[in-house]
Amino acid sequence: MRGGTMRRLWNRIDFAFSSAWQNFWRNAAVSIASVLIVWVVLLALGSLLLVLHSLDQIVALEKHKASAISVFLADTTPLSSAMDFRLHLESDPRVTSVTYVSKDQAMARFSQLPMLDPSMLATLGTNPLPASLDVTVKDIRDLGAIDQEVRTSPLVDKNPPTNYEPNVIDKIILLARVAGIAGLVLIVGLTGLSVFIIMLTIRTAIYLRRKEIEVMKLVGATDWFVRWPFIVEGLIVGVVGAVVAVLIVGFGYRPAVVNLQSVLIFVPLSFDPYYLRLVLAAMLAFGLLLGSVGSYLGVRRFLKQ
Amino acid sequence: MPTPTTLPERARVTTVIPAAAQISLQGVQKTYPNGTVALRDVTLEIPKQDFVFLVGPSGAGKSTLVRLLIREEKATAGVVHVEGQDLSRLKRRQLPYLRRKIGMVFQDFKLLPNLTVFQNVAFALRVTEGALRHLKPKVEEVLSIVGLEGKENKFPDQLSGGEQQRVAIARALVHDPRIFLADEPTGNLDPATSWEIIQLLLQINARGTTVLMATHNREIVDVMRRRVVAIEGGQIIRDEDAGGYHAPALESH
Repeated sequence: MRGGTMRRLWNRIDFAFSSAWQNFWRNAAVSIASVLIVWVVLLALGSLLLVLHSLDQIVALEKHKASAISVFLADTTPLSSAMDFRLHLESDPRVTSVTYVSKDQAMARFSQLPMLDPSMLATLGTNPLPASLDVTVKDIRDLGAIDQEVRTSPLVDKNPPTNYEPNVIDKIILLARVAGIAGLVLIVGLTGLSVFIIMLTIRTAIYLRRKEIEVMKLVGATDWFVRWPFIVEGLIVGVVGAVVAVLIVGFGYRPAVVNLQSVLIFVPLSFDPYYLRLVLAAMLAFGLLLGSVGSYLGVRRFLKQ
Repeated sequence: MPTPTTLPERARVTTVIPAAAQISLQGVQKTYPNGTVALRDVTLEIPKQDFVFLVGPSGAGKSTLVRLLIREEKATAGVVHVEGQDLSRLKRRQLPYLRRKIGMVFQDFKLLPNLTVFQNVAFALRVTEGALRHLKPKVEEVLSIVGLEGKENKFPDQLSGGEQQRVAIARALVHDPRIFLADEPTGNLDPATSWEIIQLLLQINARGTTVLMATHNREIVDVMRRRVVAIEGGQIIRDEDAGGYHAPALESH
């Protein structure tokens, strides 16, 4: 009895897979078109998820930085004046703390930025970075007023006086939102298109197999036995498209981050292998989903008669 | 006060079917969606192990009747029973199991051209998951019944028409059907080959299978002197044991 069950299961798998594989190559042009569209969808999905993740990280970092500003001191400001200015700021009730950062410390910090070529700094010769007072406030909303006050001080560097950029977080959040919505619209559209193309692929396969299907029904094959090869074909399309996209995103993510970082020196991008793995798994799952939904719609006409 | 008729009457009709009737049509009507009436008020009983010729001109309703028996079509009115099952109540998922009890062959054989003789027959077992353990002996057994030993590895286009119909018959026998339906099985064959096919059907009948053969072949029907059911214009106009293709009155013409 057990042997019979195993034999039936194996017969089902063997029949479904060998038929599906034949179908795939019998109308190779259509099958490859559907693999390509699945590939494009998943590439878009993977890229979008990774870009949004990077933007998220930048927002989180900016939010953390948001309660502080650096007041840049002119190179001509003597240290004693700087210390007086520091005491003056510390006495302000809105201020939590003030830290003095010398030119050398600023340089040391700068050279620790990721992806920065140290030899580039060496060619500069002199240190172009100003000393600064890093001011932390209790309430972010006071930052603007403090920024306005310190700008008038003669001790402060004129170009630029501070690193206060009130709108930077809002801008990044907006960018993330726009990118997210645009990407989502694109992916939804491409998803619809890919499901449709997979459906057409399956319909074509069914048409090419119409004689076999007629005989199968005639001799008493069940509906699901007739359907499985086509469902499997849809899954093959989904998996092949997904695997190609997963390989490209999986191997392309780190080089992409490194290259972007060398252009956007001050933007903290990072390579997050844990998140990458999640994205790759999501891509594979989505590829399978596309394949199964497309082929289910393709074979649905067997449900009616 | 009107007496309640419909339900008890239907029940009575059902109980009236003789236990021996393997195929039973009671007042069957079939109207296609385009309005064509293919069968009207057909009542027919075929007991087990009967051998029946279904004759009549093209478009008389023979093929519709055959299609009703394998539930490829549903009767518009009336009741069709096959093997004791009311086909109008048969659920779609039960349909494959009905088909496995019925062997069918057609004028155009319906063989798969890319499969060998052996594979064509084995296909019927594979897709129904039947006799998987004994697939090879079972296929060999039915191929020997139809006399095609040694041709297992030929493709259909390497065979004569008669041989192709034998493959189709072997495929139909592979589930040991209790009913064998043949829709114009000799339609594409020359007279000598047609006789060989008829001999084969008789042999199948002798093994205890009910055979219903729709045909145009007057010569065969007249020589065989078996039960003849004649259909014209969707109605049974004649049903006689040991009959001929035409009614006796017409034959004297």
